[in-house]
Amino acid sequence: MNNETLIKSYLIEEFLPEVSAGDLATDYDLLTNGVVDSLGLLKIIAWIETEFAVTVDDAALDPDNFRSVDAIGSFVARASVPVEAG
Amino acid sequence: MSYGELARLVADASARLDRLDTAGGEPIAVPATKTPGTIALVLACLRAGLAVVLPPATLPAVTRQRLLARAGCRHVLGAEDADHAGAAPDPVPFAAPAAPGAGEDVAFVLTTSGSTGVPKLVPLSAGAVERFVDWAAARFELGPGACVLNYAPLNFDLCFLDVWATLHHGGQVVLVDPDAATNGRHLLDVVDDHAVTVVQAVPMAHQLLADAADAAGAAGEPARRLTSVRHVLFTGDHMPARCLARLPAVYPGARFYNLYGCTETNDSFLHEVDPQALPPGGIPIGSPLPGVEAVVLDADGAVVSGPGRGELVVATPFQSAGYLGADPAAPGPFVDAPAGRPPGTATRFYRTGDIVRRDPTGLLYLEGRNDFQVKVRGTRVNTAVVEQVLLDHEEIAEAVVLAVPDPVAGHLLHAVLRRVPGASVNTLTLRGHCARQLPTAAIPATFRLTEEPLPRTTTGKPDRQSLGPLPTPSRPGTTTPTRKETVR
Repeated sequence: MNNETLIKSYLIEEFLPEVSAGDLATDYDLLTNGVVDSLGLLKIIAWIETEFAVTVDDAALDPDNFRSVDAIGSFVARASVPVEAG
Repeated sequence: MSYGELARLVADASARLDRLDTAGGEPIAVPATKTPGTIALVLACLRAGLAVVLPPATLPAVTRQRLLARAGCRHVLGAEDADHAGAAPDPVPFAAPAAPGAGEDVAFVLTTSGSTGVPKLVPLSAGAVERFVDWAAARFELGPGACVLNYAPLNFDLCFLDVWATLHHGGQVVLVDPDAATNGRHLLDVVDDHAVTVVQAVPMAHQLLADAADAAGAAGEPARRLTSVRHVLFTGDHMPARCLARLPAVYPGARFYNLYGCTETNDSFLHEVDPQALPPGGIPIGSPLPGVEAVVLDADGAVVSGPGRGELVVATPFQSAGYLGADPAAPGPFVDAPAGRPPGTATRFYRTGDIVRRDPTGLLYLEGRNDFQVKVRGTRVNTAVVEQVLLDHEEIAEAVVLAVPDPVAGHLLHAVLRRVPGASVNTLTLRGHCARQLPTAAIPATFRLTEEPLPRTTTGKPDRQSLGPLPTPSRPGTTTPTRKETVR
């Protein structure tokens, strides 16, 4: 699965069980439309940290990073850039 | 930021105010974005003798325009100019007669915490605010040396205590970033770093703090203890006994209070809780504050004088004279003194809509609402209004919105809907429909769409009992997710 499919299927399983993947537009605003509240954001962040083995530091907790499938996808892409071990 | 720096911000804000045409004395709208700049703007307006309307920062733009037009605002001033530089609403000079007494000395105009499309406007006079902040500052030591946590959004009446009373009396205010307000670890750090002495917040926030404090202990670190806190106030919702029982360990040096009030009257009841001796019948809202008169009315409107239950009706020294722009003749929650009340001097009372029980010792306990009002994450939501918004959608034929108690959110809303045959509407588009007309807290957590008629009672009303069992929402609700831990 590519990241977009993975993110969609997570969001659907967790927050939108009655929705099919085809109906969920990748720019659908999850925050304004009340799919994800602030507790939901923490769930998503926990999932991203586990699923993609990245660390989300407090500076990245801007809700806009998690507003849509697209936003989460770009966030994960940015966060997954390998850093030198140190 | 020091008081000197705040004074400079207020001076800047006053200069901006001076450039506006305020000769008509119309209230100034200041979107309640939680920043020092917003606070300075409010202080500048108060200094200029202009009323401040504080619309929620998250209000949909269309709703805000309508609200501000009804308030008679000609100017919107935002702290971050670029963010709010939107045009002022088309000025509609007080089209409807202002509420009785809501005259020239109005200082703040708050909005009801929002269940309907356009919130009601609650004007509060300078005198009412002054009386409240003086009581609160004396009761909870909000003066110099105090450090007070502001958890609620800036448009909530709770801010009269944690922001405005504190600033009026020389204490320090610590603003909690709304985007981080459900991050328990962040809250814990904020309270610790600033040596906060007073925490006023909804029960959910205290639970998040307790969870985060315990998580630190469980992770092998020393248990986090908030030793600087001297007064812990919970308000806005029912405090679960299980949560309360954990608080003395988290705040070892604090006294604990259950504070009860609403936007229209501000706080009216207070109960100091002895955490070592929790009352068996739940936590009371306690006794009236000084100057508050309270009456319990039974279903027939008769005064309940001894033990019993009924609707709580109050008159406070801090209350609004009535909704701005409301028709004074229309029935509303502001009423004349109930016949047969105990001796008192108040002439104008407010029906809270809350059902209370009075025990033999005279303490009051909150039992529920007498209508469809529930609290979702601290925001008052009327499920009947949410149903109405859903029914406004052309492809929805029937709508029932159920509020199910939830340990974290207070309540979660579940919508059960019948769509018309051949409808293309789905839950995503319905969410968008709700989001355009309702505050976020009023958007149901789950939607169940069917094409079968919903069950009805013999009188033709939706049969709420037989709509269950509800889907168990796989949603945030029962647990607070902890970072670095699988929550699936």
